[in-house]
Amino acid sequence: MENHKLSISKINKLFKDKELKPSELYDEVFERAASTESIIHGHLTLFQEENIQKALESNTRYEKGEHLGPLDGIPIAIKDNINISGHVTSCSSKMLANYVSPYDATVITKLKKEGVLFTGKTNLDEFAMGSSTENSAFGPTKNPWDPSRVPGGSSGGSAAVVSAGSAIASLGSDTGGSIRQPASFCGVVGFKPTYGTVSRYGLIAFASSLDQIGPITNNVEDAKLIFNSISGHDPKDATSLIATKTEQPNLNKAKIGIIKELMEDGISEDAKEEVYKVAKLMEAEGHEIVEVSLPLTKMSISIYYLIAPAECSANLSRFDGVRYGARVSGNTSSEMMELTRAEGFGPEVKKRILLGTYALSAGYYDAYYGQALKARAMMKKEFTDIYKQVDYVISPTTPSDPFKFGEKSDNQLEMYMSDLCTIPANLVGMPAISIPTGLSSQGLPLSVQIMSPANTDNTLLDFSQTLQSLVSFIDKPILNRTEK
Amino acid sequence: MNIIPTIGMETHVELKTNSKMFCRCYVLDTDLPNESLCPTCLGLPGSLPAPNKKAIEFITLLALSTNCSITNEGMFHRKNYFYPDLPKNYQISQFDLPVGTEGSLEIVVDGEFETVEIERVHMEEDTGKSTHIGSGRIDSATSTHLDFNRAGIPLVEVVTKPLIKSSKEAVAYIEELRQLVIDLNISEGKLEKGNLRFDANISVAYEGDKELGTKVEIKNMNSLKSLEKAIEYEISRQTKMLKSKENIIQETRHWDEKKEVTSSMRSKEGSADYRYFSDPDIPNMILSEDFVNTIKATIPVLPSEKRKVFMDSGLSIEDSNNLGKSSNWIGEFYIQVSEITKDSKASFNFITGELQGQLRKLELLSLPNWVTAKNLSEIIILVNNDKISFTSAKEILTKLIEEKLEPEEYAVSNNLIQENDIDEIGKIVLEVIDSNEEVIIRISDGEDKLIGFLVGQIIKLSKGKVNPSVAKELLLKEINS
Repeated sequence: MENHKLSISKINKLFKDKELKPSELYDEVFERAASTESIIHGHLTLFQEENIQKALESNTRYEKGEHLGPLDGIPIAIKDNINISGHVTSCSSKMLANYVSPYDATVITKLKKEGVLFTGKTNLDEFAMGSSTENSAFGPTKNPWDPSRVPGGSSGGSAAVVSAGSAIASLGSDTGGSIRQPASFCGVVGFKPTYGTVSRYGLIAFASSLDQIGPITNNVEDAKLIFNSISGHDPKDATSLIATKTEQPNLNKAKIGIIKELMEDGISEDAKEEVYKVAKLMEAEGHEIVEVSLPLTKMSISIYYLIAPAECSANLSRFDGVRYGARVSGNTSSEMMELTRAEGFGPEVKKRILLGTYALSAGYYDAYYGQALKARAMMKKEFTDIYKQVDYVISPTTPSDPFKFGEKSDNQLEMYMSDLCTIPANLVGMPAISIPTGLSSQGLPLSVQIMSPANTDNTLLDFSQTLQSLVSFIDKPILNRTEK
Repeated sequence: MNIIPTIGMETHVELKTNSKMFCRCYVLDTDLPNESLCPTCLGLPGSLPAPNKKAIEFITLLALSTNCSITNEGMFHRKNYFYPDLPKNYQISQFDLPVGTEGSLEIVVDGEFETVEIERVHMEEDTGKSTHIGSGRIDSATSTHLDFNRAGIPLVEVVTKPLIKSSKEAVAYIEELRQLVIDLNISEGKLEKGNLRFDANISVAYEGDKELGTKVEIKNMNSLKSLEKAIEYEISRQTKMLKSKENIIQETRHWDEKKEVTSSMRSKEGSADYRYFSDPDIPNMILSEDFVNTIKATIPVLPSEKRKVFMDSGLSIEDSNNLGKSSNWIGEFYIQVSEITKDSKASFNFITGELQGQLRKLELLSLPNWVTAKNLSEIIILVNNDKISFTSAKEILTKLIEEKLEPEEYAVSNNLIQENDIDEIGKIVLEVIDSNEEVIIRISDGEDKLIGFLVGQIIKLSKGKVNPSVAKELLLKEINS
């Protein structure tokens, strides 16, 4: 039984040809979960029992030829910062450990309409703040390629479960690389769409101007399928874009820029090697490879660590024990709020709230947050200008292959540096995809990131599909190999 | 040296949109708590704000009507502070790019025009409502009940420059603003319902001082009466302190309605830093020239314009201002009547005094259709020509509201036409003088108030048909001769 590694369109064909039933695939992924979850801890909750009925309903639809679309009956895992009505949305925080959402996120409403079966909610760094899932209040997720290593983060659970086969695909959220970095660490595809193409309604905000929901999948075509099903204007999200005609980059004979600043110090030789390898394959296909300079990418971590904490300091204010979530009693209402927040939030979250509060404080705003906004605007211009010269830019997704647990948790700066290559796309709001291309000298997955101008998501996905077929990455994580 | 007070007003106007500012929950007028809620106005995790276009139209209307410059690319900001009735623990408000800036409002104080300068008009969302049980304040309450029906209702904050000089001026300003939002049809404008809520910033300084004194903010004034009293109390408190060289602290003070004093709520020195920053959930608010022009075209007749029309008809500033506070149809009715009677003051008095008084008593919101400007004017003209007494006019009006009639015909057939013939009245006057010799002596001794008694006797004897002023004139002539 290896159906869980097939592409969604192949599965859909099997369903339609009555060679496979949704309930059979459903059982298969939960069997995968049964044999892998105890090792990787990718899911925080599994919906097996409660969704079996939905799987049987999907069976019936295919039997009658009335299936809802290509995603009907596909088991998909959801990062636990996206609300599903009637289920806990914990954000991997003690604060929301028992918080049951009374409503569906817009992406969930859309997937439900297509007959998607949710496998459960996946682990993350608390409130999506982190790069390793070590900040989860419910214990870390392990990398299916090597359980002594991190799966990346913050969508570590979502990446690990796709890699391990306990879901066909998953949704993650990406604020500074939280989809792409774990996808890279787990050897799967991760796509962060243009800011505003996927509604954020129902995604528990970390940094509102950077957050974007996107798919984590086994291949690029699955990513495209899910992206097109969850995207579209949503009146409930004022930052949601209304589709406009945008000039698209070339698919054939494209000009591809390797970002000079992301091929320098701090990037491992293995990671650079992958980019050169891909460049050569592309060149052989008739594309043109050039080196481009985006000087401000070097400042992206500094800019990010002012803007994201500033926004999160306000976004997380609502967790005060008054209306929902954890509550620690106090003698006065303010004491109750203080104790609740002291008890409910973990250390990384507190650190970022403090950082953001400081950056926004009277007398410091101009020097910190104000400067960061200006630098961000300049960076956006830098990218817009570069896309007048090239169709796409590429870089490694991560500076290195997956690191070991504890390896970077004592060195915060090094931990933050692991998002160096992914943060720029969030700051400029443009699409970026991470595609696994090979293994490091240690036998761990490495990926290349491709970026394109805003609102060219489908073209980027089509282009990535060509790249994917060129590299033909077929290696599998250790869990899958040992099982065989 | 004189001590001069300086007052600035901050007023929150609750808009009467159908739905809330950032979600589509109904704006409900109900005492049942927590009836109109959704993830957004309750600040549930993952919810997002989607601005209400109608509210933006309303605030633009108000900003234009207060002569503000419109900010073409405005922004919403987050104002951060923790309080249990603030669902997100930040309020979506505006900071450096409000919808309107640098406006003005004409007001009437003691029958004279004054201008209040408006600093800014900005959009924000309301908070929930806290009811503290066992105490007026949250930290000493045994429990606090939270009602989020109000949370997210669109509010416009109108901030004046600190140039208001007296409590009277402040009251006149609030009255004018209230009338304006009612005439613009953007708010119920009911103070008792909290549709209009105001805080006052007050300072005092010696006349001629270049700098203003230390500002004290007064909260919890729920009526115009308490606004006036609170400002006066605060001016005298600060004046005493300034005279005795005491240090006035910058703080927020609470008006105690029962004790009629202000007391310290919190010191501003250690006050919150709101850490304003632009709300990343809401794109910039573009108010295009086209949009602004469309709104401009919908501006109705403003209170100041109504006043001008009434003044052109011959009324004083004060009367014009008062008439402007009545329903629009009253003003229009007045204009028709005064054009027929050619007597603006009498028309104004009769309509605002007698007609409106009777309508109020009968709880009528409009006139029966047979009461026209023509037949109402007829009554006023009858009085003006001394054909009927004012008392008779009231009687005719009462009848007229009950049923269709011709006022003059009615006056004739009911014997209400006054005797104006001096010879006829003279006879009655003499008759009364003859039968009240004692009274005449007392009047001669200086008891002037008895004249009224005799006039009453004359009217009684004539069965009400004598014009009292003519009777009085003749009576005095006879007594003095």
